[in-house]
Amino acid sequence: MQTPDISYFSLFVCSLLLIIPFAVSIVLKLGLVRDGLISVLRMAAQLVLIGVFLKYLFQLNNPFVNIGWLLAMVTVATFNVIQKVKVNMRIFFAPILFSLIVATFCTVMYFNIFVIRLSDITDARFLVVIGGMLLGNSLRGDIIGIDNFYKALQRNEQRRLYALASGATLFESLVPYFRESLIAALQPTIATMATMGIVFLPGMMTGQILGGVSPILAIKYQIAIMVAIFTATTIAINMAILLTIRTCFNAYGVLKEQIFR
Amino acid sequence: MQENRCYVSVQLDFTILQHILNHSIHMPVIRFENVSVKFNDEYLLHNLNFTINDGDKVLIFGESGIGKTTVFRLLLGFEQPVAGTIFVGEKELDAYTAWDLRRNIAYVSQDLDIGSGTVQHIIHTVLSFRANRSVAFNTEKIKGHLRFFRMKETILHEPYEKLSGGEKQRIAITIALLLERQIFFLDEVTSSLDEELKNKVIQYFTQNNSWTVLSIAHDRDWRNAAGVKVIPLPQQHADT
Repeated sequence: MQTPDISYFSLFVCSLLLIIPFAVSIVLKLGLVRDGLISVLRMAAQLVLIGVFLKYLFQLNNPFVNIGWLLAMVTVATFNVIQKVKVNMRIFFAPILFSLIVATFCTVMYFNIFVIRLSDITDARFLVVIGGMLLGNSLRGDIIGIDNFYKALQRNEQRRLYALASGATLFESLVPYFRESLIAALQPTIATMATMGIVFLPGMMTGQILGGVSPILAIKYQIAIMVAIFTATTIAINMAILLTIRTCFNAYGVLKEQIFR
Repeated sequence: MQENRCYVSVQLDFTILQHILNHSIHMPVIRFENVSVKFNDEYLLHNLNFTINDGDKVLIFGESGIGKTTVFRLLLGFEQPVAGTIFVGEKELDAYTAWDLRRNIAYVSQDLDIGSGTVQHIIHTVLSFRANRSVAFNTEKIKGHLRFFRMKETILHEPYEKLSGGEKQRIAITIALLLERQIFFLDEVTSSLDEELKNKVIQYFTQNNSWTVLSIAHDRDWRNAAGVKVIPLPQQHADT
């Protein structure tokens, strides 16, 4: 099966669909026209750039360049987490960066070596693309988990100090919040897996099927990638919290005020 | 007690006899030496001095908003003084000794937000801390405390957050007693109790000779209880 091309004129025709959301925004005064337009243009520009970049990345397929590119993606993701959660850059940058590196690289390497059994385990098509999917989901997990953890700590500081005063170690005082934030961070992935195939067809699978891959193979990839995503997210959020705990509390076990921006 | 325009220094006024007794039999448990705390550039506590000996029943007394709770926050290491030193036994209170102290005292906070879930779950959680492992979850003992403080046994299965202020207070006291500690920090623990219960709690804490009790309260019942020494906290900026 050949995938039909989309001409530039067709893309223009597609963009006419935007009239509907923009009209709704204007009529209901949602104020989303400007943001929506900027986002569409940003998406287009970024995808064009990444398309060109990926083309050369795949052609070159140099292990160091591939790993370097994934590292660059992890760095951008780290800034993104810190920006979204509104926490102190100096305290959070290194732990989050490290958590995302470990989560992404370990999982993608396991995937490439033991699942796909690639001869070239740093092959750009797998390292960068699969790694990127794992990273994107780990990033989302980190944002939800870290936000949930530190906001809950701030809200329940009295309760936690009571635990400390009752003899709890720092970690014992944090366990309930740690647990809750892990659940919050992993819940979306669990919900996605539970409804997958019925409620929606995942993007990667749709893309593969449109690209001419047999649905059975596309499904196998999808199952494998979801399991990898679940694992990577779990590693990322656990590490991010365990590593930030070391720097976010003073020697008396009290939450430092300067962790929030 | 000495007073001048800029600050007030507080010292416990012991009779000589008491002084000798305290030094020969009872060891100092807690000592504040010229401790000062600032809040928004103003002194909340200034050059506070007092000593609490083993077995003392001490009441920190004063109007609200003058730093009574801060004394506990200092002792528990939740806040650090801008000047002065706090001694716990022979040792200076620091980031190491504060953790030790927390394992050796029982604290009932004024803020009764101590956990969520059923009462039993909260008790379980506190007893599950490694420092409290030596204390078993003894249902009979818990029920004994509940009966003593005029609560039903079924309260164990009720959600803590649904309880009244007085019930929460008594549950927090029960947990403090379950920990089998010898030193108690009690922050306004009788504020929501009726007269009869209040006196029952005061008697319970003040009549056990081996316990050292440090209580914060603004009502007079504590003050009038037998054997209670009072540390009055002065208003810092009343005359400046």
